[in-house]
Amino acid sequence: MLTRSDASEDLAEAVRRAMSLSNPALSRFEPLPRIISLDEFSRGHCGWSQLVGNYEDTLDSMLPGYAQHTSAMLSTLPHWDAGSHGGMHGSYALKIATRPRPGAQNVAIKRLTFRKRGPIRFETYFTFKPEATELTLGETDVRSIGVLFDLQGGDRDDGAERVMPHLRFLNAEGGRHLQKWQFKNETTRFQRVGNGEKTLSHYHLAPEGWQDLPGGSQRLCYNEIATKVNWSYLRFDFDLAAMKALSFQCNDRVFDMSGFESIRMPAMKNLWCMLNFCLFAETDVAKRAFLYVDSVCISGDF
Amino acid sequence: MLPENITAILARNEDWSGEAATEPYEAGWAREAVIFVRALKQPVGPAPLARIEISPDGMHWISEGTEMRMPTEKDGIAVARLGHFGNWLRIAASFEDGASCTVLATIHLKA
Repeated sequence: MLTRSDASEDLAEAVRRAMSLSNPALSRFEPLPRIISLDEFSRGHCGWSQLVGNYEDTLDSMLPGYAQHTSAMLSTLPHWDAGSHGGMHGSYALKIATRPRPGAQNVAIKRLTFRKRGPIRFETYFTFKPEATELTLGETDVRSIGVLFDLQGGDRDDGAERVMPHLRFLNAEGGRHLQKWQFKNETTRFQRVGNGEKTLSHYHLAPEGWQDLPGGSQRLCYNEIATKVNWSYLRFDFDLAAMKALSFQCNDRVFDMSGFESIRMPAMKNLWCMLNFCLFAETDVAKRAFLYVDSVCISGDF
Repeated sequence: MLPENITAILARNEDWSGEAATEPYEAGWAREAVIFVRALKQPVGPAPLARIEISPDGMHWISEGTEMRMPTEKDGIAVARLGHFGNWLRIAASFEDGASCTVLATIHLKA
């Protein structure tokens, strides 16, 4: 039997959904009830900064994987042959660019903490391209793009862990056009930074350890020259209570996440309730890879 | 709404020698830029003039005309102030054989 409380909740959900759908800024997303952040890059970087590596005493102690990272930019996707491409709703997108060296990576990060252990949803519209230094398609120049979360339980939780779900689209490797989603459940060993008493570091985006997501092959809209781009939709749901992936969607495809595993490690002493989001790009050739992010919506069920 | 302003790192702990340049940076939204280069270690050899370069596409570069003397001692800084630069910016410098400088290059942009 429908109770007054059920009816009230149904009405509240219907109103929330109607307001979300009638709001052009939100209508292209499917947010959970609480918007944690809505990032449109015509309003600046919205807290997406460079992932800087740990160091102590000297910057020379930073691991090389991190030392290569550079600051993300606000870009109109300007192309030499066609001018500015622009974003979905405005002129600007966040641009994460690698250096022009095979295997080079770059990462942008948004650092938050959580106040409720429950489902969260990460949604973004993104696209990727190599730098158009050649008059070729370049469809195998970008090795990968992806998203990762860096999470840790609260300081009073029993058995709190640091949990790092990693998800990447392996576009190409060694010139082979692979086009599949992957995850990883292991990181490189921790190394001491400085005298090692306070600071450790590990490069979790090292190329080793990626595994295919079952059923994770997908051909995205790359378009027909290096300077034509199309925005794609990505949604990754994760439960902060169970620390497990719930679902993953890219454009029209919803993937089975039952085989997905996160990198897990004992909790670290300064990272309680950490809720970090990273977006990354990697090039396969001596050419810069660009990950462009039109917008990001992070929401939670609370 | 306050006007946008951003500090970005163009090069951090990079050892410059020979023909050196920062990665291309897009700043078309900004009306002005201030660029600093700090020597993180004692520079070696003669300090060249670093030059600001602009570009139509991030791939082909030309000197904008602004130059700054690279630092001659550890923690010395060089500065350049720019008002017109289109979209793409980078810093470039040509070092004599054997000369080098480990740099922290930052850009401070304002809409």
